[in-house]
Amino acid sequence: MTEQNVQKKEQEAVQKTATTQRETVYVPDVDISENSECIRLVADMPGVEQGSVDVSVENNVMTVEGTARFDPPEGYELVGQEYGVGKYRRDFTLSDEVDTDGIKARIRHGVLEVTLPKRDEVKTKKIEIEA
Amino acid sequence: MFDLVTWPRNPWSIFDELESLQDDMNRLFTGQEVGGRGQRGAAWRRRRPSYPLMNVWSAEDGIVIDAELPGVDPKDVDISVLGDQLTLRGKVNPVQVAEGETYHRRERPAGEFARTLQLPFRAAADAVKANYKNGVLRLTVPRSEEEKPKRIQIEA
Repeated sequence: MTEQNVQKKEQEAVQKTATTQRETVYVPDVDISENSECIRLVADMPGVEQGSVDVSVENNVMTVEGTARFDPPEGYELVGQEYGVGKYRRDFTLSDEVDTDGIKARIRHGVLEVTLPKRDEVKTKKIEIEA
Repeated sequence: MFDLVTWPRNPWSIFDELESLQDDMNRLFTGQEVGGRGQRGAAWRRRRPSYPLMNVWSAEDGIVIDAELPGVDPKDVDISVLGDQLTLRGKVNPVQVAEGETYHRRERPAGEFARTLQLPFRAAADAVKANYKNGVLRLTVPRSEEEKPKRIQIEA
């Protein structure tokens, strides 16, 4: 199945960061893979814990959001910063083949894993060749 | 501030120099390190930053380092301290493609990494603490006893 078929491209308008809100919003890096049963999306969201992640679907657009807690050590002064801590957000357009009721998500070690099952009609069927 | 990140520079590339100058200027104005998420300067795109990205805090008796390592098995990370050098080594996201699986997008970093930091002091190697939580590794590196600043009382 080609990528066009899946229609699972993220909104290109979204750059690496968006600052329309007061806080900076980071766009997480994702891996997207697919097999005959489901599409799997894996997003890096370091610093985000179980309770502060949210996956929602509206009008065939799935939004993943999470907030990393900034936890500076007490009594120390920041001397070098290579990454920012705050909100993650990214939108994905889903194709009709996704069964939106069956979407499952879990987060572990700062990695969000979303499983999007395909509807039965579009699952690849293997046809046995009769001898 | 101590120099936490040293970029391998190509001495023959004038553009490299210009871009890093641009990054330096940006850093001067924004006060933020170029290379972090959302602060990717022109030079960043040409020479990838070190992995993992780190935030560093300092105090009189040591430093605290946070390293972004999402999805890493803590057993796969090797932390070693030698004098004033701290090295992180490990591997992330080993590529495993199951049968019948196709990848459409692969943005997350994968592979082996090693990063060495030059600390501003000799560390008390035995007292270094490491804690992995929600994909962030926090290292607490105390200064070795003999290097701690000593207060000298003035006798009356």
